[in-house]
Amino acid sequence: MTGFWRILGREAGLAWAGGGGAAGPTAFFLACITLGPLAIGAENETLISVGPGIMGISALLAVLQFGERSFADDFFDGTLELYALSNISLPVLAFAKVMGQALATLWALPLIGALGGMMYGLNAGEVLVVFCGLSAAIPALALVAGFASALSAGVRRGGLLISLIAIPMMIPVLVFAAGAGRAALDGDYDRAWATVLLTLAVSLGTMALMPFGIAAAMRSRLG
Amino acid sequence: MPNETVSMPDLSDLEAHSLSVSQLTLKRGEFVLREDISFTLNPGDALFLTGRNGSGKTTLLRTLAGFLPQAGGEIALGEGGDPAELIAWLGHTDGLKPNETLRKSLRFWAGLAGQPGSVIMPVLKALDIGHLIDRPPARLSRGQQRRGAMARLAVMNRPFWLMDEPAGPLDRAGRERLGELVAWHRGRGGIVLAATHQDLDWPGAQRLELGGGL
Repeated sequence: MTGFWRILGREAGLAWAGGGGAAGPTAFFLACITLGPLAIGAENETLISVGPGIMGISALLAVLQFGERSFADDFFDGTLELYALSNISLPVLAFAKVMGQALATLWALPLIGALGGMMYGLNAGEVLVVFCGLSAAIPALALVAGFASALSAGVRRGGLLISLIAIPMMIPVLVFAAGAGRAALDGDYDRAWATVLLTLAVSLGTMALMPFGIAAAMRSRLG
Repeated sequence: MPNETVSMPDLSDLEAHSLSVSQLTLKRGEFVLREDISFTLNPGDALFLTGRNGSGKTTLLRTLAGFLPQAGGEIALGEGGDPAELIAWLGHTDGLKPNETLRKSLRFWAGLAGQPGSVIMPVLKALDIGHLIDRPPARLSRGQQRRGAMARLAVMNRPFWLMDEPAGPLDRAGRERLGELVAWHRGRGGIVLAATHQDLDWPGAQRLELGGGL
């Protein structure tokens, strides 16, 4: 297990120091939610009703940003080979790597989501649901982005591939995470919290299965 | 050949392993590069892989490391256990992160391989880059980066060193350091395979000429 923490710590440190940490995805998220009212119009009712959805979509797009660098650097600088020969099984390593990167770069997204919820005029309870929904969704989103990133590592214009591979797989998470916020808007908090739990369930399932997919993708990029 | 000029760290003893390859077929995609490659290496041996560009040197190394599927023949690398955990790899690229200092990077790889951090400084000194330990590789020259990657091979304390053009970016002094490092490793019972175009002077090294080519 100590190998897991070593990888997680290293990847978090690399993402923090070299990749600008949380700045990139956070700035992207902020830009999305700020542009929303400019495009949609500033009527209170409209903004409240689109709020949870905009938060969900913005989070998804911000996580895609994270996928762009995740495995591509390892492919070009030779780290991929070294990881493949490490004494840690590749799925565990892949999981540790993506979680380490996500911790360093995506931790701010639920906070920005809550802030955005307030900007859009949601009340405290609704903001809390949005915050929890995003927190539950981000591990799954990060792993899917990591998978797409590993598959497209070393491919020119990999960003395009990452979007095409990852977005369809992210849809269920988006539907649940945004759905929780919408249920809260309807005043149905039972359904809202149940949907947050469903989002969490999808995340846990993704955490259990996706590392094997990422490991297979990493192996295929070695050939 | 033990060397007197450099004091290398005390690493835990290497287990004695050997490598035996018989009738190996090298394939790149559907294209058969070469057939019937056989050789055996025992503890302390070194092997140069030579041959023209495209003759399959890198493919052979990558097949031995398990990055490419084995297209035919047999590879017996080490005695039991996962062969991948016996191999220290030095490819075309150095495996360094541009903003991660040598100290951090080597501490990570040594730790992952179960080696204490105290082995790092002696190895760097032996490679004449001890003063660069806190410099990020983005601010090192190509040759210095390569020396950093060589240090990683040493601190991981694994029996098989697979090196692809190790001397590429090295100057004369660097090649001498590489020779000393390899001699030290062989002296401890390690095995070294190196694909190379350069004339490296490693005493008693065998040579495998991969003819043909694309």
